[in-house]
Amino acid sequence: MPLLQSADWPLIIDIYFFLGGLAGGAFVIATVASLWGGDRSREITRIGYYLALLAIIPGPIILVADLGMPTRFLHMMMVAKPELTIGQSAVNLGPFHLKPFSPMNAGAWALMGFSLCAFLAALDVFLVARGGRSMAGLRGAAGVIGSFFGFFIAAYPGVLMGATARPLWIDARLLGALFLTVGMTTGGAAIALILAATGARARDGLASLKRTYTMALGLELVILILLFAVVRGAGPVAQAGLAALISGVYGTTFWLGAVGVGLIIPLILELTSRSRVSMGVTAISAILILIGGFLTKYVIMIAGQAI
Amino acid sequence: MARTLAMYTDTSVCIGCRACQVACKQWNQLPAEEPVWTGTYQNQEHFTDKTYRLVRFIEKKDTKGDLAWLLMSDVCKHCAEAGCLEACPTGAIYRTEYGTVNINQDICNGCRYCVSACPFGVVSFNHDTGRANKCTFCNDRIHNGLGPACAKACPTESIQFGFRDELAAKAQKRVEVLKKQGFKDAQLYGADQNDFLGGLNAFFLLLDKPPVYGLPEKPKLPQKNVFVDSLLSIGAAIAVGIGAVVSFRGRGSRGGEG
Repeated sequence: MPLLQSADWPLIIDIYFFLGGLAGGAFVIATVASLWGGDRSREITRIGYYLALLAIIPGPIILVADLGMPTRFLHMMMVAKPELTIGQSAVNLGPFHLKPFSPMNAGAWALMGFSLCAFLAALDVFLVARGGRSMAGLRGAAGVIGSFFGFFIAAYPGVLMGATARPLWIDARLLGALFLTVGMTTGGAAIALILAATGARARDGLASLKRTYTMALGLELVILILLFAVVRGAGPVAQAGLAALISGVYGTTFWLGAVGVGLIIPLILELTSRSRVSMGVTAISAILILIGGFLTKYVIMIAGQAI
Repeated sequence: MARTLAMYTDTSVCIGCRACQVACKQWNQLPAEEPVWTGTYQNQEHFTDKTYRLVRFIEKKDTKGDLAWLLMSDVCKHCAEAGCLEACPTGAIYRTEYGTVNINQDICNGCRYCVSACPFGVVSFNHDTGRANKCTFCNDRIHNGLGPACAKACPTESIQFGFRDELAAKAQKRVEVLKKQGFKDAQLYGADQNDFLGGLNAFFLLLDKPPVYGLPEKPKLPQKNVFVDSLLSIGAAIAVGIGAVVSFRGRGSRGGEG
């Protein structure tokens, strides 16, 4: 094994990855529901936009708190640099800089863009609920632009991990795609859970929502299998990284938590209860998806940093 | 850009005196650390935020079963394509006009991405200052006409400092001499710019295969993954996006009819 070091990102970063993915997924679903879902999905849009804003608010706070020098959080995006050679494709615009090949830098920009869109969308939903007039054009733009940022926020932690030297991550290729599907499933499940808990009437909208995240669950399963195959074929160092994930101390968490609770059981629940929407089953399945989604990101993070 | 500078570490003449390690500590004013028992004379186990030069003592059984020492003075490789530099979100890690890689301590905000991104595990996080540390190639010295402290202190010329092209040619000749003397695994690590990471500006002459020294055989630039990983993520986004639109549109229109 090559001698490597690890950033040892702590549990709060896992929580950010989870909440960020949930926020991105909920925002995308809310936008799709508002553009294509009609009146029956209005409740989904409302809950989705509120949820996206609430889930993303802790994000920047967590990230700043985790820095070694929290007061320098703005350096992620702007600082006067004495040198120009700070990496390939790096763009310096006055004090600002964008490094498209540093997912952490690009993610900081996307987090800002997403937060703005999530705020505008939630504000509009709030004003409409208070009897005001909708800023339809503004919300439409925030919804579409924010959906791109939402996908980005859900996926970039995986791309970021793939762009490190850690054995489990460097050859995984599909971590971004996996995290994106987890964001969609957890975002959808969180909306469904709130709908079920508040005894929503919009049952037709709920069926669309459940279909959306059931499809995402299916894709997540496919991506996970592909990811295994890719890492397994990438040589002995990658295989040692994979072994830390699927066996050893993290194996139980991965198989029982991430795969069993988060993927297989909800998939069976959703597929067997397709003919009629039961609030009880919906709530149980949503809770399992949320727990499993968190554990998926958590266990990939901790196993990848362990070896 | 000035002519690229390099350090060439010829492990075949290293005697394990650790003068380089001490000189590095003194010049860079790095505090002492608790010794670590590694089973050999080596101390520390790996680079730390206070150890930028580290002499590795590798015990190896030769063909007769006798124990032999492989000594190697390890250091930041100052890669031409540097994982830490590409990862750094702040621009704190930059390339100097001499081709070396340095961390600007006034900009680093301690995100630790570089620590995970270095293919050699060189960059270390300093919990006291909340910033990342690594070998600076004695940035202050080379900008004042001096070589790095480690190269200056080395009594056997195991560590040599100079222009990269000249040192690489010299190293190539040395490998051929060693091969003739019977060191059949003698090889250069990182001297060839076409081999990996665009070449290392601190390259090595090894007497055995790289993994024996804890070095990766063919390290990759982690940021090369970003493009493909992003494309695959976009593919997944399109798939789940279409899934969502189909789900909502189908149900929505039916709801409208009823």
